[in-house]
Amino acid sequence: MPNRPGGGHGRPTGPAPKAKDRKRTLFRIWQYVRNYNIQLTIVVVAVILSSVLTVFAPYYLGVIVDQYIMPKDIDGTIKNAVILGIIYLSISLLMWLQTFYMIKISMRVIQEVRQQLFDQLQLLPLEFFDKHQTGDLMSRVTNDVDNLNTALSQSVVQIISSVLTIVGTGIAMIYLSWQLAIASVIIIPVMFYTSKAIIKKSGKNYAMKQKDLGNLNGQIEENISGAEIITLFNAEKSKISDFNKMNEKYRQSAMKAEITSGFLGPTNNFLNNIGLTIVIGTGAIMVVTGPATIGLLASFTTYSRQFFRPINQISNLLNTLQSAIAGAERVFEMIDEKSEFIQDHEKKTLKSIKGDIRFENVSFAYNDSKMILQNINLDVKKGEMIAVVGPTGSGKTTLINLLSRFYSPTEGEIFVDGQPLSQYKIGDVRKLISVVLQDTYLFSGTILDNIRFGNPEATEEQVIEASTIARAHQFIKYLPNQYQEFVQPGGVNLSQGQRQLIAIARAILEDADLLILDEATSSVDTRTESLIQEGLNALMENKTTFVIAHRLKTIEASDQIIVLKNGDIIEKGNHQSLMENEGYYFEMQNQL
Amino acid sequence: MKAIKHLMQYIKPYIWITILAPLLMVIEVFMDLLQPTIMQFIIDEGIAKNDMSIVISYAIIMIVLAIIGLGGGLGCIYFSSKVGVHVATDLRKDLYEVMSYFSTKKRDEVGTGKLITIMTSDVEMIQRALMMLLRIFVRGPLMFIGAVIIVWFTARELFNILLVIVPILMILIITFTIYSGKIFRKVQQSVDRVNEMLSENLAGIRVIKAFHRMKEQMDKFLQINKKLTKLNQNANMVMGFLNPLTMWIVNLGIVAALWIGVIQVEIGAIQIGVILAFVNYLNLIIGGLMMSVMVLMQVARAVPSLDRVYEMFNIEGEERHQKQDLHDIKGDVTFENVSFSYNENGENIVDQLNFHVNAGETVGIIGMTGTGKSTLLKLIPRLYDVSKGKIKIDGKDIQSFTLESLRKQIAFAPQKALLFAGSIASNLKFGSPNAVKEDMHHALDQANAMEFVEKYDDQVEHELSFGAKNLSGGQKQRLAMARAFIKDAKILILDDTTSAVDTISEKIIKNHLINDFKEQTLFIVSSKIATIQHADQIILMDDGRIHGIGTHDELLATNEEYREIYLLQQQSGGVLDAE
Repeated sequence: MPNRPGGGHGRPTGPAPKAKDRKRTLFRIWQYVRNYNIQLTIVVVAVILSSVLTVFAPYYLGVIVDQYIMPKDIDGTIKNAVILGIIYLSISLLMWLQTFYMIKISMRVIQEVRQQLFDQLQLLPLEFFDKHQTGDLMSRVTNDVDNLNTALSQSVVQIISSVLTIVGTGIAMIYLSWQLAIASVIIIPVMFYTSKAIIKKSGKNYAMKQKDLGNLNGQIEENISGAEIITLFNAEKSKISDFNKMNEKYRQSAMKAEITSGFLGPTNNFLNNIGLTIVIGTGAIMVVTGPATIGLLASFTTYSRQFFRPINQISNLLNTLQSAIAGAERVFEMIDEKSEFIQDHEKKTLKSIKGDIRFENVSFAYNDSKMILQNINLDVKKGEMIAVVGPTGSGKTTLINLLSRFYSPTEGEIFVDGQPLSQYKIGDVRKLISVVLQDTYLFSGTILDNIRFGNPEATEEQVIEASTIARAHQFIKYLPNQYQEFVQPGGVNLSQGQRQLIAIARAILEDADLLILDEATSSVDTRTESLIQEGLNALMENKTTFVIAHRLKTIEASDQIIVLKNGDIIEKGNHQSLMENEGYYFEMQNQL
Repeated sequence: MKAIKHLMQYIKPYIWITILAPLLMVIEVFMDLLQPTIMQFIIDEGIAKNDMSIVISYAIIMIVLAIIGLGGGLGCIYFSSKVGVHVATDLRKDLYEVMSYFSTKKRDEVGTGKLITIMTSDVEMIQRALMMLLRIFVRGPLMFIGAVIIVWFTARELFNILLVIVPILMILIITFTIYSGKIFRKVQQSVDRVNEMLSENLAGIRVIKAFHRMKEQMDKFLQINKKLTKLNQNANMVMGFLNPLTMWIVNLGIVAALWIGVIQVEIGAIQIGVILAFVNYLNLIIGGLMMSVMVLMQVARAVPSLDRVYEMFNIEGEERHQKQDLHDIKGDVTFENVSFSYNENGENIVDQLNFHVNAGETVGIIGMTGTGKSTLLKLIPRLYDVSKGKIKIDGKDIQSFTLESLRKQIAFAPQKALLFAGSIASNLKFGSPNAVKEDMHHALDQANAMEFVEKYDDQVEHELSFGAKNLSGGQKQRLAMARAFIKDAKILILDDTTSAVDTISEKIIKNHLINDFKEQTLFIVSSKIATIQHADQIILMDDGRIHGIGTHDELLATNEEYREIYLLQQQSGGVLDAE
C-alpha cells in the first residue's frame, strides 16, 4: 500500500497548548458528529473493508505468484490477475467513499460550529466584547475552527485504519513467530519516550513562538491602523526599530520551535531503522540456530515496516488532534458564554412605549470596578425632551446605555410607562428605541443599505425622505452613484460629519417610540445641525427624546436638563432655572 | 515569475544552507534506500553461509547507516528551518519598512485589512511553503526518479508498463493540481468574505444591537458560510478523488505486470523475482508522486501570497530623496490656486484655494459638513499632494522639501483621536521623544488633560489599550491635542479637536491656544464660531471653495452666510426655540 500523505516527514504541526479537559471536549465534538450517524457508519464500514482488502491484496498476489505464475499457468494467472484488479478497484472505490462522506461530515459540522459561533456573537452582551480583544475573537472563528476541520477530516479515517493495520499486522507477526514479534516491539517504548520528550520540549517552544507572534501581529495591526499618526509625527523610524526588535525576537523563537518540532520526523525514522536492524539481527540468529527460515524473515521484515508506519502516523496525528482539541475548547468556551437574551422567553413582550421613563436609585459599575453612575433618580414624562450634559467621562453615555439595555443597572431599576424595564424582552426594548450612537459605524454596502439598516422594508422614497430630514440627501445627491454609492467598512470613505448624517437618517427611518441622540451631531456644522433639528422637531413632537450634547445651544429648549458629574446628578431643571441657579451649568454656559 | 526572482534575493544570503538542506535530505533518503540491499547481503551472504560474523558486521553497518541517515535528517530540518524563518523574517522586516513609507493615497487604495493580512498570514504562508519545499520536495521526486531508474536496470522487460502509467499519472496530477489551485483561490476569496463580515460585525456590534438586527446578520452570514462550505468541500473532493484514482492506476500496473510477466516467464525472458521487485518499486513510485503532489499543493497556495507580497514592494513609497531639508522656518503659509481631488477625474474636494497666512497668525476654518475642511489641512503636511496649484512655506513650494523635514515643522491633531497601546507618556513621546515629565505636564495642562490624568495612581505612566477603549471621546481628544502641543512645532494644526470636549475644558484649552502659541502659525477647524472668533483670519468654506475670508468682525459685516451662522449660534436654544 502506498504512503498515505501525512505520514513520514510532513509539515511539523507542533504540539499546541495543552487541552484542559480532553475527554469532555472530545465528547462534545462527538455530539456534532453523531448527527451524521448514517454517513459515519458508511465511513467506518468502508474503512474496515478497505483495510482488510489492503491487507488481503498482497497475500492474494503471493498466491497468484506461487500457484499460477510458478507453474506457468497463463490462463489461470490472467483470470486471477483480473480478480486482483477488481479487488484493487474495490479498495479505491471504498477509499473514495470514505473520503467523500468524511469530507461531507466534517464540512457540515464545521459550518454548523462556525454559524453557531457567529450567532453567539450576536447574542452575547456588550460586557463580553469589553473583556475580549477583537483579534482573539476573530481567531476563534477562523484559526480554531480550521484546526478542528483538519483534525476531523483526517483523524477518524486515519485512526481507524492505523489501529486496524497495527492490530492486523501484530496478529500476523505473533502468528509467524512470537520471538521476532517481541524483537519488533522492543523499540516501541523508546519511540514513545523520545516522541513524548520532543513533543514536550517543542510544546514549550511553540507556546513561546505563539506568544511572540501574537505580540508581533498586534504591533502590525496597531501600526497599520494608526499609520496616519505615525506619518504625521515622523515616527516611522522609531516604529520600524520597535518592530524590528519584536521581529528579531520572533525570529529566535520561531527558529527554535520549528527546529525542535521538526526533529520528530528524522528521529522516528531513525528508530524505525534501528527497530528493523534488531528484527533482522534476531532473525538472522534464529535462522542460523534453526527455529526460523529465510522466507519467514523476509515476510517478517515487510510486516515490521507495515507495523511502524501507522505508529508514526498516529504520533503525528496526536499532535494535530491536540491542537484541534485546544482550539475546540476555546470555541466551546465562547459557545458556553451566557447570551444576554437567555431569560427572554420568560419575559413579557413590549409592543409600544408611551414614553414615561423613570430611573429609581440606579447605580452602575463595569464589573466590580468603581461606580460610573451613583443613585440616579430621574422622572421623564411622555413626549418630553431631556438633555444630559456634563464634563467628558461623567457617565452620560453609560446612562443611556442602561436605557437601551446594553448593560443592566448594578442597583436600582428603570421604569417604562410605570413597569420595570427588566421585565421585558431585550429585543422588544431595543426595537422601540432609536439610537444615534456617539461612535457611528457604517457597514460595507451601499448608502441605501446602510440607511435601510433602520428599517429593511422601507421603500426608496422613505429612505430619501429620512435622509432629507437628516440633511444627508444634500451630499448624497452629489455622489457619483447617489444612494448606490459604495460605503467602505466603517464608512472610512466619508467624512466624519457625513457618517453622522447617515447614522441620523438611519435612526429617523427606524422611527421608534423613543429617540436617543448621543452626540449625534458633534462633527456636523451648526447650520446643518439646526436644519436637522428643525426636521426632527416634527418627529419628536410626541416622542420622549434623550439628547447628549456638548454644544449647549442645541439643548436649551429641553424640558429637562440634568447635569452629570462623576456619576452624580449635580443639577436638574430647565435652562432658565439652571441659569438662575448659577451653578455648574451656568458656568458651562458662560464659557461660550 | 518576477515575484519568485524577488524572493530569490532573500534566499541569497542563505544560499549555502539552502542548497545544503536538500542535500542532507538526499543522504537520509539514500541511507533509507540502502537498508533493503544490506538486508539482502545479510540473508544471502551471512545466513546462507551460516557466517555469524558477517551477520554482525552487516548489522553494525546498518546501524551506522541509520545514524548517518539520522544526521542527514536532523541537519535538513535544522537548515531548512533556518532558511524558512530567516527569509520570512527578513521579508517581513523590509515589508514593514516599505509599508511605513506608503503615501496615504496608496494606503487607502490597498486598504488596511489587506495590508495586515499580507504582513501576517501571507508571509507565514511563504515561510511554510519554503520549509516544506526544502524538507520533502527533494525526497518525493528523488524516490520517484530513483525507482524508475532501478526498474530500467533490473526489470527492463516490464519497463513498458511504466511508459504507459507514468505519463497518465503525470497528466492526471498536473490537471488536478491546476484545477484545485483554481478552486482554492475561490475558497480563499470566500474565506476573505467570512473574515470581512466577521470583523465588521465585531466593529459594529453596538449598532447591530441598537437596531436589534441580529437575525438579518445571522442570515447574511449563513449565506456566506454555506458558500465557503460548498467551495471548500469541492476543493477537498477533488483531492479526495485524485488519491484513490492514482492508486488504482498504479495497482492496475501490478495487474499488468502479472499478465505480461507470466507470458515473459513462460518464454523464459525473466524470472519471477523481477515481477516482485517491479511491484515493490511501483509502490515507491506512487509514494514519491503523492509526496510531490502534497508539496506542490502547498506551493501552489503560497504563490498568490508571494504575488501579493511582491505587489507591495512595487508600490512606490513617498519619495524621500534628492530634496532639500526644511529648517528653522518662520511659519508663513501660502495657498496658491490649490485644488485637490482623490481620483484623477473625480470632483475637486477643494477647489482653487488662495490665501496667505503670516507667521504667528491664527487661521480659523469653518464651513458645512463635507466641504473639504479636513482635506485642506491634510494637504499641508502632504498627507495628500495637491492636484493643482502650490502650497508654500516661507515662500518656497513644500514639494521641494523632504517629507521628514516638512512634517517636523508641523504638529497635527486629527479629527479622529487615535492613541496607541502603551502609557500616556509613551503616547506623548510621539510628539517629542526626549520630553521629560515637566514637558508632559505642561502639554497636558494646555490640553486640560492633567485634570483626569492626575486621578490615575500612576499618572502619565497609566497604560492605555489600543484605541484607548477605556477613555471617553473627550478624554481621547484632549490627549491627542497634548501630543501635538508637546511637539512644539512652528505650525500647529487642530482638526475639530474639541467636538467631544465639554465647554469648560474647551474654554481652558482656547485660552492656552491664545496665550501660549503666539509664535506659532495655527490652523483650527471648528464648527463653533466661539472657538475661532479670536483668529486673525477666518476662512468660510463652501463646497470646496473659499466663500469668505477675513477677521470675525469683517466677515460679520460683509458675509451674509457667516452672519447667519453667527446668529444661529448666538440664539438661545437654537432653532428649537424658534418654533
